[in-house]
Amino acid sequence: MSDAPPSPTHESGGEQSPRGSSSGAREQDRYLPIANISRIMKKALPPNGKIAKDAKDTMQECVSEFISFITSEASEKCQKEKRKTINGDDLLWAMATLGFEDYIEPLKVYLARYREAEGDTKGSARSGDGSATPDQVGLAGQNSQLVHQGSLNYIGLQVQPQHLVMPSMQSHE
Amino acid sequence: MVMADEEENGVSIQLEFPKGRVKKIMALDKDVKRVSSEALFLVSRSTELFLQFLAEKSAQVAIEKKRKTVNLEHIRVAVKRHQPTRDFLLDELPPPSQAAKPDKPTQPAGRPKLDPAPRGTRCIDQFFRKPEPENTAQAPGQPPENPAQAQSPENPDQDQAQSPVPVDES
Repeated sequence: MSDAPPSPTHESGGEQSPRGSSSGAREQDRYLPIANISRIMKKALPPNGKIAKDAKDTMQECVSEFISFITSEASEKCQKEKRKTINGDDLLWAMATLGFEDYIEPLKVYLARYREAEGDTKGSARSGDGSATPDQVGLAGQNSQLVHQGSLNYIGLQVQPQHLVMPSMQSHE
Repeated sequence: MVMADEEENGVSIQLEFPKGRVKKIMALDKDVKRVSSEALFLVSRSTELFLQFLAEKSAQVAIEKKRKTVNLEHIRVAVKRHQPTRDFLLDELPPPSQAAKPDKPTQPAGRPKLDPAPRGTRCIDQFFRKPEPENTAQAPGQPPENPAQAQSPENPDQDQAQSPVPVDES
């Protein structure tokens, strides 16, 4: 957003440049917050365990690499099948293909709970009962319109909670 | 509101990582056009699983080495032990020699230069020697005293031009 890449909504950076040479703004965009990473790492450590700074930095790079790795695999599958939207099944397939089969069962459990939550939210939005405020419904409509305007615009959009109630994105075969 | 709904249902699907940031990382791949909310959710959750897995393995390595602090080397060993992770990640890790990540791209390069002093000295001497024979030839008093020049007036000029050394000033 702050930078001006060739494509309007994409950020350049095909290669993983060293962290020291990348700018602060770009580094924020290509890595997950290190505080979140530290918190999850500490859960996996013994109570008196500590994490060195270089280990946290390396983990930050590792998880970004993991995201790019499975995203690219899922994206290739979408292109072969002439689809433009990466969906959940594409990612499950990508993880199985790349050797992370162990993740699929836990993810399916999470996905089922996620869809249950969506169903409840959808019901609220449709029935218009007390739990769904008019503002929320309005925002959902706006997001839906923005999605249909163009694929490139959608990439740059910030994900908002109302995103969960988009019916067009929830179709699953 | 959405988060409240989730809490009311008693289903904990709160994500550890911000969705916007995950989406930006996914979009670094220019081929990625659109991502469904389910896909974004799955990537965020799988990233948590991956990080948890790698952290646990790194902690095991640290324990094996009797260390309380997990460092870069422990992560490297953990990566090597898991083939799928090793395939895409080992080349991305910093080399062992640069554990502290020192950057030294420039290397010192010094070239010894040739010293032209000796040759220069010779050139100067040569320039000095050329005018002297001509001056000697131009002198009116010396030719009659020199028998070689008196006998053959044309040859002395050639000798002086080709080899000034044989000329005797005395």
